[in-house]
Order: sequence, then structure tokens, then C-alpha cells
Amino acid sequence: MSDSPKTGATAPEEAPRVWFWRGVRAGVLSVQGIVLFAGFIGFGGLIRDVGFPLGAALLSTILVWALPAQLLIVGGFAAATPAPVIALAVGLSSVRFFPIVASIMPMIRGKSGLGTQLYASHFVAVSAWVESIRLMPALPVHARMPFFLGLSNYFLWGSVVTTVIGHLLAGTLPQALANGLVFLTPISFLLQLIRNARDVFDWSALLLGLALTPAFAQFGGSLDLLWIGIIGGGAAYAIGRWKRVRT
Amino acid sequence: MSFSDPMLYTYLLVILAGFLPTDVFRFAAVLFSRRLDEDSEALILVRAVATALLAGVIARLVLFPTGDLAGVPLWIRLASIAAGVAGYFLIRKSVLAGVVVAEVVIVGGAILFR
Repeated sequence: MSDSPKTGATAPEEAPRVWFWRGVRAGVLSVQGIVLFAGFIGFGGLIRDVGFPLGAALLSTILVWALPAQLLIVGGFAAATPAPVIALAVGLSSVRFFPIVASIMPMIRGKSGLGTQLYASHFVAVSAWVESIRLMPALPVHARMPFFLGLSNYFLWGSVVTTVIGHLLAGTLPQALANGLVFLTPISFLLQLIRNARDVFDWSALLLGLALTPAFAQFGGSLDLLWIGIIGGGAAYAIGRWKRVRT
Repeated sequence: MSFSDPMLYTYLLVILAGFLPTDVFRFAAVLFSRRLDEDSEALILVRAVATALLAGVIARLVLFPTGDLAGVPLWIRLASIAAGVAGYFLIRKSVLAGVVVAEVVIVGGAILFR
């Protein structure tokens, strides 16, 4: 790891591997990674709490790789929500990946082919995105794709391990600590939403989504989350437009 | 195994209702990443809907927990959230710091008051 590649002079087969492991190291040193793993420890505790099988939960970490979507699956399962409604809600929450992936891909793709880019896009989640935006600009272009894959693979497989740890801990911990574990999910997500809120659209959507929940939990039936999203998000959009016109 | 098997159902749920509706947007974003305007009105609306929906998930986990967390009084859960948000803003806007503060309150509250 101590070799310092001069541009164009590195062995073509070795350089990507070196950058992959530098990406892993950046992940290990990342505070974002600690919060991410805390969220997945909470997720592991939550699935135990609602009776969702561990294997399916691990598969969701690997295949879905988006904690909000995974929470919708598990929460929908717990509330006996019909599968097509869950799929719709997951799709709505995962639409966010469109701008996230599209904004990061031009930065990391370098000369990689379409297949590599599609593969890499699966590993894009909020945590890897935040760290990439922070770390990528300082790296040479050819290093970015392997660096990103190292970083994001560490995040994903670390999250698989911590999902298992959270699941195991939830069965053995004292009751108060187990409660704290389950609570990691909502608090870490709320704070990350707050941190990511940049404008009046984001803040309105966040606050309306929180405020509408008590009402829709009573009257919304199995579609309540969808109504919260559509009405809260639609109203937030209207508020944002209104503020923009006025200023 | 039948489709109504609860184990099989959860795996199918992960693949059909989780993996497919998520990665379709990741893949589409790669294909369209050259043409995408991140500030387009449609994306602002969609992002607002997704944010409100996720906020709804968070609020439901706090207000209407399904498992053992329901045994912790509501006011402790709300106090923990408030403390976490306050901790985040007071301690250098650190998510980690906010999480730690909220955890101290929820675990302490569960020990003392449940």
C-alpha cells in the first residue's frame, strides 16, 4: 500500500487493486460508516422484534441496499400491507437514487464500461454517496471506480455483518438496551434526513411527513405511508414553489 | 412450499418488492446520467414525496412501535428524539453525537420508567 503510482507508470493490473483497498481503508476510517453500521445493528434488532426472517433481511441488505426501502419491506410485512403496495412504496422511496446515482456516476466512471457502471450503481447508497462526494475530487480519475467499489463494498458487507450482530444482540441484551437498539433506526435516520435537508422542499417534506403520521395511522389503513408521502410531499412541493415565487 | 409460506413470502417480497423497484432506478440513472437535470421540477416533487414517506416511516417507528419498544412510555420515546435532535445541533451537527445522546435517553428512560 506504500507505492505511490505515478500517472501512467503503474502496473495496469495492480493499480486498481491498490485503489480498491484504499477505498476499504477510507471506509474503515469513516464516521459515516459507524452511523451506517449502527443503523444496520438497529435493523437487525428491528427484524427480530417484528418476526422477519434473518435470511430474508440479509438478502435485502445485499440486494436492496437501501435502509429506507428495507424498512418499508419489514414495516409493511409487520403491518400485513399487500405486496404490490409495498413495492410501490419502495419504488417511491428509491426514486431518490435516480439523482444520487446520476450525480455521482459521471464523477466515478472514468473509462469503465456500461456493465461496470451498472454493477457499481447497485452499491450507491446515501452513505457511499456522501463519502464519495467528500473524497473523490482529490483522486486521479482512473482511481475513482476501484476506490468507490472498495469503499462501498466495505459498507455493504460490513452492514451484512452488523445486521447479524444486531439480530443476535436483540435476543441476549437486557431489555432496556434492546429497546435502545431498535431505536437506533428511527433516530439515525431522522438525523441523517435533517443533515441532508438543504432547502425548503426538504424541510417541508420532512416536517409534514412527521406531522401527518398520527392522523394517517388512524385513518389511512394499509396505504397510510403512501398517503403520507403523496400528500406530505405534494404539499411540501407546493410550499417550496410558493416560497420560491415570493423570494 | 406454497406461495403463502411465510418464509418464502419474505424472500419473494425482498426480491420483487425490494430489489426490483430499487435497482430499476439505479440502472435507469446510469443510462440517463448524461441527460439528467438534477434541478428538474419532477425530481424535486419526487424527492419531496420520498422524503415525506421516509419521515412517515420514522414517525411510525417512534409513535406506534410494533414490538417490545411499545413498552417504553411514549413521552420517553419523544424525549429521546428531542434530545437526539438537540444533541445533533449543539454538538457540531454530528449525527453520531445526536444518536449517542438519544440512545442515552431512551436506554436510561427504559431502565427507570418502564
